[in-house]
Amino acid sequence: MAPQKHGAGGGGVGSASAPGVGSAGTGGPGGKANGGVYSHSAAAVMPAVKKPKMEQLQADHELFLQAFEKPTQIYRFLRTRNLIAPIFLHRTLTYMSHRNSRRNVKRKSFKVDDMLFKVEKMRGEQESHTLASHLQLTFTGFYHENEKPSQNSENEQNSVALEVLLVKVCHKKRKDVSCPVKQVPTAKKQVPLNPDSSPTKPGALPSLAVSSNEFEPSNSHMVKSYSLLFRVTWPGKRDVNGLMNGETNENIDVIEEFPTRKKRSSSYHEDGEKTFVAQMTVFDKNRRLQLLDGEYEVSMQEMEECPVSKKRATWETILDGKRLPPFETFSQGPTLQFTLRWAGETNDKSTAPVAKPLATRNSDTATLESKPSSLKPTQAIAVKDSLTTDLQVRREQILCEPRQKLRIFYQFLYNNNTRQQTEARDDLHCPWCTLNCRKLYSLLKHLKLCHSRFIFNYVPHPKGARIDVSINECYDGSYVGNPQDIHSQPGFAFSRNGPVKRTPVTHILVCRPKRTKPSLSEFLESEDGEMEQQRTYISGHNRLYFHSDACLPLRPQEMEVDSEDEKDPEWLREKTITQIEEFTDVNEGEKEVMKLWNLHVMKYGFIADNQMNQACMQFVEKCGQQINEKNLCRNFLLHLVSMHDFNLVSIVTIDKAMARLREMQQRLEKDELAEKTSPAPTDEPNWENGSGIETPTSERISETDISASGVPKQNKRQKL
Amino acid sequence: MDTQGPQTKKAQKNSVAWRRRVKSEYMRLRQLKRFRKAEKVKFQFLANRNKIQEKTEMLNEEWKKLRIQPIPATPCIGQLSTKKCVVEYGFPEFKSQTVMMRTLNTVAGVPFMHSWSPLQQNFMVEDETFLHNIPYMGDEVFEQDEAFLEELIDNYDGVHGDRGCEQPPSNRIPHDKIFKAIASMFPDKGTTEELKEKYKELTESPSPVKLPPQCTPSMDGPGAQSVQREQSLHSFHTLFCRRCFKYDCFLHRKSPEPGRSCRSRLCSPLLSFHATPNVYKRKIKEIRIETEPCGLDCFMLLKGAKEFADQNMVKSQRPRRRQRRHKQPSSSASTPGEGKEGDSDRETTSSSEGNSRCQTPIKLKQSSEQPDSVEAVQWNGAEESLFRVLQGTYYNNFCSIARLIGTKTCRQVYDFAVKEALILRVPVEDGGISPQKKKRKHRLWAAHCRKIQLKKDNSSNQVYNYQPCDHPEHPCDSSCPCVMTQNFCEKFCQCNPECQNRFPGCRCKTQCNTKQCPCYLAVRECDPDLCQTCGAADHWDSKNVSCKNCSIQRGLKKHLLLAPSDVAGWGTFIKDPVQKNEFISEYCGEVISQDEADRRGRIYDKYLSSFLFNLNNDFVVDATRKGNKIRFANHSVNPNCYAKVVMVNGDHRIGIFAKRAIQKGEELFFDYRYSQADALKYVGIERELELM
Repeated sequence: MAPQKHGAGGGGVGSASAPGVGSAGTGGPGGKANGGVYSHSAAAVMPAVKKPKMEQLQADHELFLQAFEKPTQIYRFLRTRNLIAPIFLHRTLTYMSHRNSRRNVKRKSFKVDDMLFKVEKMRGEQESHTLASHLQLTFTGFYHENEKPSQNSENEQNSVALEVLLVKVCHKKRKDVSCPVKQVPTAKKQVPLNPDSSPTKPGALPSLAVSSNEFEPSNSHMVKSYSLLFRVTWPGKRDVNGLMNGETNENIDVIEEFPTRKKRSSSYHEDGEKTFVAQMTVFDKNRRLQLLDGEYEVSMQEMEECPVSKKRATWETILDGKRLPPFETFSQGPTLQFTLRWAGETNDKSTAPVAKPLATRNSDTATLESKPSSLKPTQAIAVKDSLTTDLQVRREQILCEPRQKLRIFYQFLYNNNTRQQTEARDDLHCPWCTLNCRKLYSLLKHLKLCHSRFIFNYVPHPKGARIDVSINECYDGSYVGNPQDIHSQPGFAFSRNGPVKRTPVTHILVCRPKRTKPSLSEFLESEDGEMEQQRTYISGHNRLYFHSDACLPLRPQEMEVDSEDEKDPEWLREKTITQIEEFTDVNEGEKEVMKLWNLHVMKYGFIADNQMNQACMQFVEKCGQQINEKNLCRNFLLHLVSMHDFNLVSIVTIDKAMARLREMQQRLEKDELAEKTSPAPTDEPNWENGSGIETPTSERISETDISASGVPKQNKRQKL
Repeated sequence: MDTQGPQTKKAQKNSVAWRRRVKSEYMRLRQLKRFRKAEKVKFQFLANRNKIQEKTEMLNEEWKKLRIQPIPATPCIGQLSTKKCVVEYGFPEFKSQTVMMRTLNTVAGVPFMHSWSPLQQNFMVEDETFLHNIPYMGDEVFEQDEAFLEELIDNYDGVHGDRGCEQPPSNRIPHDKIFKAIASMFPDKGTTEELKEKYKELTESPSPVKLPPQCTPSMDGPGAQSVQREQSLHSFHTLFCRRCFKYDCFLHRKSPEPGRSCRSRLCSPLLSFHATPNVYKRKIKEIRIETEPCGLDCFMLLKGAKEFADQNMVKSQRPRRRQRRHKQPSSSASTPGEGKEGDSDRETTSSSEGNSRCQTPIKLKQSSEQPDSVEAVQWNGAEESLFRVLQGTYYNNFCSIARLIGTKTCRQVYDFAVKEALILRVPVEDGGISPQKKKRKHRLWAAHCRKIQLKKDNSSNQVYNYQPCDHPEHPCDSSCPCVMTQNFCEKFCQCNPECQNRFPGCRCKTQCNTKQCPCYLAVRECDPDLCQTCGAADHWDSKNVSCKNCSIQRGLKKHLLLAPSDVAGWGTFIKDPVQKNEFISEYCGEVISQDEADRRGRIYDKYLSSFLFNLNNDFVVDATRKGNKIRFANHSVNPNCYAKVVMVNGDHRIGIFAKRAIQKGEELFFDYRYSQADALKYVGIERELELM
């Protein structure tokens, strides 16, 4: 599983998910509708249960949704994301090796020159215009409800003239008013009118081939989309209910008028002739292939004279408000039936549904894209789905499990294993991400590894396989990717200036791991109930750390900094200062020295008595300047003497420290004298004056001192 | 009767007028107070703003230098710019306003955390007898919560902020009439006399001009006085913590907890915890007397001066020294010539007065200031005080004293000393270091090893806090508090260094991480002043110390990281791998008494989150308000760390060690039950299990 943060599914999940496989048109942006695939399956079970009460069913359905809705939503979202921006490719997984068509055999003999050779060769091929592949259309017949085939086949001509045009809608250029349209007449054929349903020999039917070269971008205009325009000219009686209604959808633009000069010149309409048209998009404007191999029945539309259309190229949709049941159109209206096949040069390549130059991003996408449309019953074109899928399945089975048609039943267990529902599927697509796994083993492995929010258990079944699906209660959705990604903002990658440090993330890669032989038995429900817990053995810093003070995420470049390396956090420094400041019976000189000393000790964290001599010398070096500036020399001397009284420093240290301090002071004075000479002498008399005034007060204080001598020593700390 | 009528009326009128005045005055004062408060708040706010601004600028500057990803301006996601927000008014005259909607990206949430202050060493706090705030129990009020709160408040003397407002101070005592009027207006606030007393009390104490009587002016200031040595050094002596080497340290400032009755008798709670230095014995070898004159003008060249000094030194006798040690030897600077009686008298009074510094020798000063023989050498107060201070240390080494005073020559100092008659006798240590000492020491050590073993066997779980003992009368016997609490005497004790109860330290040459090391065996860290061979006293700067048993004191913790835990709330993670038994971090916090822990614990129980950790029988470490990152380590029954209370240079400290080898990035756990059986209930997972 790719690293991704689950549980982020908000409202965005629902809207991002594509319409579900079996969602029967309910797929909308709402959260509920995303359980579509299952609601469908629930509905499928309905007849099996004997006349269940409606409420009971509803409640049951609710329970079902409760259990499976959320994870399904998440996997839907991930599927879509994986299509748009794949994190990994399925074909590179070992259990999906059959999806990988590349071989490594050539690598040994590979030469760089080969690449050039290859390119040159390819260019040559293109020039020679070999029919690399072509679109083959085989027309079965033109059906019109008014004409009974029995009638027509005998007296009148039982064929109509069909003209097939390739319409290229080009990109609008500045000078163009509308999108330039190019119509390339491809072929004119006679198509049998209302033939029997009995199969005729394919060779007898009219067919035509459109070279894929036609779908290559032409030089003059960049072509936006390609579509096939079918025009049937029927020389019959006037139709009573001529106008048939069609639905529009993205794929098929039924009933459009193409104002072409050619049409004007035509004189079909004069003698009761009728022209029916239909258009089908081959490649849409995103260059996605819309027409896959299969049998098609196109609803034709009678072309009316429209004067407007001659003036302007407008895309018009004729809609009468009434909505007809879709299949009515096909039973009544004029329809054209044909088989479509993308044929290649050689037989084995013929299955490639995509023309070379317009290859879509991956073949899966194309398949997926076609799927929802093909299943919509409201569409004008009913593709015989079973045929398409049959073909595909067959193809796949040829590749992996020769000639074994598997039916896979999904059994959903929920609500304490009491309720079970099943849905039969006969392909090996993953129901959550529609990935074609092609092999049962691969499917099971994929389900187990990629959809670990569920538990899948394989149960052999006479018709194929049954997969029990239940919710994985022990699912660990914890994040294993780069923790920085969680907090990084979108577009963040481009907002940095210059190289920056990244969080190192450790992943363990096992080189040539020991692999057991793939066997379906590994998916059987284990006896002891719980499988061995897959524990991640990844060690390292695969998580996002936070600053302990502000709970902000720790950025990669801050990883090396330990906030606890600071022995004296700022608040503690401030605290010791205020605490000393709070003393009322300690004079300011003492306070200053104490504060400086405390900060010094806190910074260096002295722990031993025998460090003290060194600490004092260091103190002089670091704070000597301040001591001199604040005029604290004598207080500092008192501090040293006090330290000596505590037996912590030697007399030698006192001498040395004071000598050093004097030295620093002299240098300071010298510098000051050098700078300015006048203010220094004025200080001196002031000082003496002050002392002169102060002496009587000091005596007074000492007198009060004696009178107040009863104060206990503890009062030293007034704050307490 | 008639005369009385107008009088009472007048009096009534008067009293009504007075009442009104009092009322208006009271209102005015209240308003004033409110204004002042608002101003203060405003000022504080502005100051804070400025501080924040400064910090941000500093940070930005710093960030510019480093290669750091800038914090991006929150970008809009999707096409939300098309959305608009509308503000509508209820009034028709205001137009509704629209503004573009800007959406902020979601940020992944983090677990809940109360704010706390970082700390790398324990911090002792006092008991809180006042409840600071009523604990917040959530918005909803439950009945059991109320009952709990009532019980809680009963545990305290009161709740902070209960007291009434105070009178604003003024200089003059107002007329009695005013007090009378106030008393009649607010009868519940006390009688007139009481109000007056209160007024005096409130206005007088915070006068900022006068220094308190015990305080001496700064030595470096202009008002320096000539005082005795004790007085000069009083602040330094009393505030210095001999154990932390700091003034007014955070850990040892508390008066000893009278936990047990025997101790409370031994040392009075009034006494400062910091021992004054006088009782510490001085190293005698340090006293150097220079025999060579320091220069041409040296006092030694004076006739008889050298002999005078020497003679005094020789004369010193042992009994005298002992005597001084018995008394509070604040008399060391006093004059012998003054007469013993007066000196001792003053001394006894001073010690009875609780060691205050009240002994300004006025007489002495007067005598010193009379210029008898010295020709006009002025000594100011600072110099005189300094001389006395230095003489206590340098004795008759006048050259050194002069050098340190700086402003006087040694000859002047000598003259002053002679005049003051303060020539001191240098105490000479008797015996000194005898050759047999080594042997004795060894014997001592062997005895100790036995004792440690013995202690181990006793294995009493009671561990008491260490207090330096101070009983000068007798050696450390069964009455010594250290012995009674089964603690060793430490270097901080006042007893003889050869005391039987002292721990001798180890003599290991290895890493001191096995029970071979007596320190390790006694659950002590190696003392850098005792263990000289193991390396505990070397390499102060580097982290590579050969001794592995000194990690807590040196703070050799591992780099820890904080992240949401895999178990509950926040967790502690280790950055680098560690080996088994390696020191990881110290569990730091506030050191509180057991009683306080009981009170706090009651609130923490309610919050289901506790950071209490038993330190010893007397104290508990509480990391709730202050602590370090290890406080976030969660409990586990299968932990990767263990906690150990270690005696580190006289303090019990909690070390967290690795129980096994730990990989980098692993979350740290230790067993909370180490000391507290009930600590279990604070941990999320096990709590849930219990509920189930």
